Amino acid sequence: MNHDIPVPALGPQGEVMAHAVDACVHCGFCLPACPTYALLGDEMDSPRGRIVLMKEVLEGALPLADAAPHLDRCLGCQACVTACPSGVPYGELITSFRGWSEAQRERSPLDRAKRAGILKILPAPKVFSVAARVGQYAKPLAPLLPTALRAPLDLLPERVPAMQPQPPVTLARGRRRGRVAFLAGCAQQALTPNFNAATLRVLARNGIEVVLPEGQGCCGAAALHTGAREEALRLVRQNLAAFDPEQYDAILSNAAGCGAGLKEYPVVLHGLPDEEQARAFAAKVQDISEFLAGLLHAGELEPFLPTSRPLSVAYHDACHLAHAQGVRAAPRELLRAIPGVTVVEVPEGDLCCGSAGTYNLEQPELANELGVRKARNILSTTPDLIASGNIGCHTQIGSHTRRQGSRVPVLHTVEVLDLAYRGEL
Amino acid sequence: MSFSPRKTALTPGSGAPKPRSKGTPDNPLAAELTRSLGPRKVLSNPSERRNYRYDAIQFGATPLAVVLPENTADVVTAVRAARAAGVPVVGRGAASGLSGGAAPALPGLVLSFTRMTRLEVFPQRREARAQAGVVTLSVTEAARPHGLIYPPDPASFRTSTIGGNLGENAGGPLCFKYGVTGDYVKGLQFVDADGDVYELTRDAYDLAGLLIGSEGTLGLITEATLRLTPPPKYTRTLLASFAEVGECAEAVSRAIATGAVPAKLEFMDAACTNAVEDYLALGLPRDAGAVLLVDTDGDDLETVEEERALVEAACREAGGTVRRAATDAEAAALWQARRSVSPALGRIRPQRMNEDIVVPRSALPEVVREIRALGDASGLPVVQFGHIGDGNLHPNILFDPRRESSEAVHDLAHRIALVAIRHGGVLSGEHGIGTMKRPFMREAVDPVTLAALWDVKRALDPAGRLNPGKILPDEDVEAHAHP
Ligand SMILES: Cc1cc2nc3c(=O)[nH]c(=O)nc-3n(C[C@H](O)[C@H](O)[C@H](O)COP(=O)(O)OP(=O)(O)OC[C@H]3O[C@@H](n4cnc5c(N)ncnc54)[C@H](O)[C@@H]3O)c2cc1C
Ligand code: SF4
Ligand code: SF4
Repeated sequence: MNHDIPVPALGPQGEVMAHAVDACVHCGFCLPACPTYALLGDEMDSPRGRIVLMKEVLEGALPLADAAPHLDRCLGCQACVTACPSGVPYGELITSFRGWSEAQRERSPLDRAKRAGILKILPAPKVFSVAARVGQYAKPLAPLLPTALRAPLDLLPERVPAMQPQPPVTLARGRRRGRVAFLAGCAQQALTPNFNAATLRVLARNGIEVVLPEGQGCCGAAALHTGAREEALRLVRQNLAAFDPEQYDAILSNAAGCGAGLKEYPVVLHGLPDEEQARAFAAKVQDISEFLAGLLHAGELEPFLPTSRPLSVAYHDACHLAHAQGVRAAPRELLRAIPGVTVVEVPEGDLCCGSAGTYNLEQPELANELGVRKARNILSTTPDLIASGNIGCHTQIGSHTRRQGSRVPVLHTVEVLDLAYRGEL
Repeated sequence: MSFSPRKTALTPGSGAPKPRSKGTPDNPLAAELTRSLGPRKVLSNPSERRNYRYDAIQFGATPLAVVLPENTADVVTAVRAARAAGVPVVGRGAASGLSGGAAPALPGLVLSFTRMTRLEVFPQRREARAQAGVVTLSVTEAARPHGLIYPPDPASFRTSTIGGNLGENAGGPLCFKYGVTGDYVKGLQFVDADGDVYELTRDAYDLAGLLIGSEGTLGLITEATLRLTPPPKYTRTLLASFAEVGECAEAVSRAIATGAVPAKLEFMDAACTNAVEDYLALGLPRDAGAVLLVDTDGDDLETVEEERALVEAACREAGGTVRRAATDAEAAALWQARRSVSPALGRIRPQRMNEDIVVPRSALPEVVREIRALGDASGLPVVQFGHIGDGNLHPNILFDPRRESSEAVHDLAHRIALVAIRHGGVLSGEHGIGTMKRPFMREAVDPVTLAALWDVKRALDPAGRLNPGKILPDEDVEAHAHP
């Protein structure tokens, strides 16, 4: 698309943005993939429309405040990236744009406090755990609260589990086949400690030694995608210092959003001195399912025990796994490798569940609408189990399926594998 | 072979909060529309209106207001308000059009049909009734459970709307054997420039036929009755590659001369193949000068195979090498390659001038060679692809407005158009004339015929208020827009 973006004035992130705008031929192929377009049916809330809005704000033709409501409704799900045949890096555009524009946003003090709170609490597992516990007691009050405050409470599980210790090194069982570093993640440590426990067990069982490098922190994605660029840069550099890619066969994450965040480091640092370092780091990053599928392909994955009865597993594609990382086949192959499991496809499978990072807190109505639709689509396949590879989807889908009266368990893919190894499926 | 999974067509119309303009509309038209239709159906903020000034090829004037009608009555109200305000009205579907049709030439009212998505299937009558905003693909999706399909298949069928398809008389790969959109329209409802509603069948004077392909310049189509057909039982696919574009065109002429009626006959030249390969990595032959993709289909497997063999032989005789798609998945991947050509070209240059010429099949080899030569001589990247079975070619000039002069681009486009006309062809196969090919109309259409077209336009839209500045190269029509 033709544009007059003052690239030099905007610096390296300006280059990233201008490149994306350049690449868009406004063909509209991305429209049917976009969840907000599906709900709202207007051009401003479509990927193509948002690209035009960002272009015009960058050109100075449109005030930021006019465009902001539509840009804020973007889930960052990147379904448009999968759909776009011209290879427009929309994810890089919106992330860079949010970083650039945040400083110029006029926000109410309440809004600022809420955002600062989210950014403080989410990445700090201990703080989050305490907050979640407080929230758990506030849950009965939820119906009395305004939507914006009710949404986060609705998402909390009935009982917030106890924190589990995370060993700095988990030794391989049997012959040692490899050594990986693991990003422990933030909120999920508090809400679903079993994700990590299951991950460590499954890796160990396959002869993989797992290290949790000291000094690691939040991947920075939440900060980055809400426009807190400085904070994000700090977190990114903290992790670059903690993980030395040379030492490991892979750097693993079991949260789709975090994995996508780690793979994005070279874009975040584009044009800065540590860009090369970020590239070396990102080259080693894999989602847990990619890594295990690698073992499966090499014929090195320990066989699973068969299930006690035939199980139909509805696999939900987390946006940050399917669209941002392009990982679709690996989790399905792993689940299918369990004797007795059939993987069923969910109608409208490419449509985001509405969780998307802090979306539930910022756009509760749209998030709810998408959650209801996702739960209905998943339950229409009458599954025995629901599997997905991301904490956000997990919480969102769990809360909406329960609300629709379903008791079908929602598990992380690696939890399903772990249960299969133990013969408990 | 891998390709991304099928996208489900999404149905808007949820209970989610619909956009509504905040604050006071900043012009009288928007204020009046908001008063009569309510804020939910009218967009008046600059951020909203500026998003309704483009289609897939062009940016036009920012509309004064945008209406998102939910039914025919809303369309009537909006058209009457625009008439009272003396401003033009432009209909808009998904704005995937490639001739500038939905990009307003003047500031006025844009009617965006994306919320008019009611769709009913009547299997006994093999018909569907679709509102203008129904996404093309969803017609087939709704019909399939009844053992029926809707054949018109523009590459944009996941995005484009029935209203836009009728507006452009869109075609697709299937049109060689099965015909274009217009062949599947049994009747339609439209709103004229005064806001009166008509229900047309195709008896007597084919007024419906006149509206089909009129690019919103004669009336606004609100609903259509579409013909559905059972899908063929068997389909076979082949891919032939040729050292040179002209050979590929020769193969097509030969194949058709043998009496084969393939369902689809599509070609793409080396630049297209490589652009798609860069994006999808499907294993297409990168070094071929041109590739030809062919489907034969029907209910009798023997005939289907026989026809494929005929085409195969013709391709070999013309100097090509042939590969058969062994599985459905392989065939699907090949067709995905063809569908992705157009947008994948954006990777070569940010902008393109898209031609949409049709020439007699006998002239194909010469025409593609001449266009190739024009492209090479101009120094601008020119690529060619299209529904070659119909003689419908899409030569595209790729350019970067910051590097290449728009005069050079226009000049080359003009010369390409002249090649088509010289060989007895026409300016538009399916994308319409819009604003892109309007300057060439005087050369393509003789003055008597042009005068007749003007008479038709004035009969249906005397004040020139419906999508002015499109198709007809008549400055007067625009002057009428502001009485
Ligand atoms: C990548 C790509 C590939 C394409 N491939 C093909 C192809 O294979 N074959 C093909 O034919 N086209 C193709 N097109 C062009 C385009 O998709 C078609 O012309 C399509 O029919 C336009 O539909 P739309 O809903 O996007 O209409 P728009 O672009 O919104 O509108 C098209 C025209 O119709 C008018 N219009 C829209 N709605 C109405 C209405 N309700 N009543 C009256 N007039 C109306 C508009 O004013 C405009 O003049 C392609 C486009 C792209 C971007
Ligand atoms: S599909 Fe890609 S090129 Fe087309 S409008 Fe969307 S982002 Fe732009
Ligand atoms: S990231 Fe998701 S919500 Fe945002 S524009 Fe793309 S498809 Fe739409």
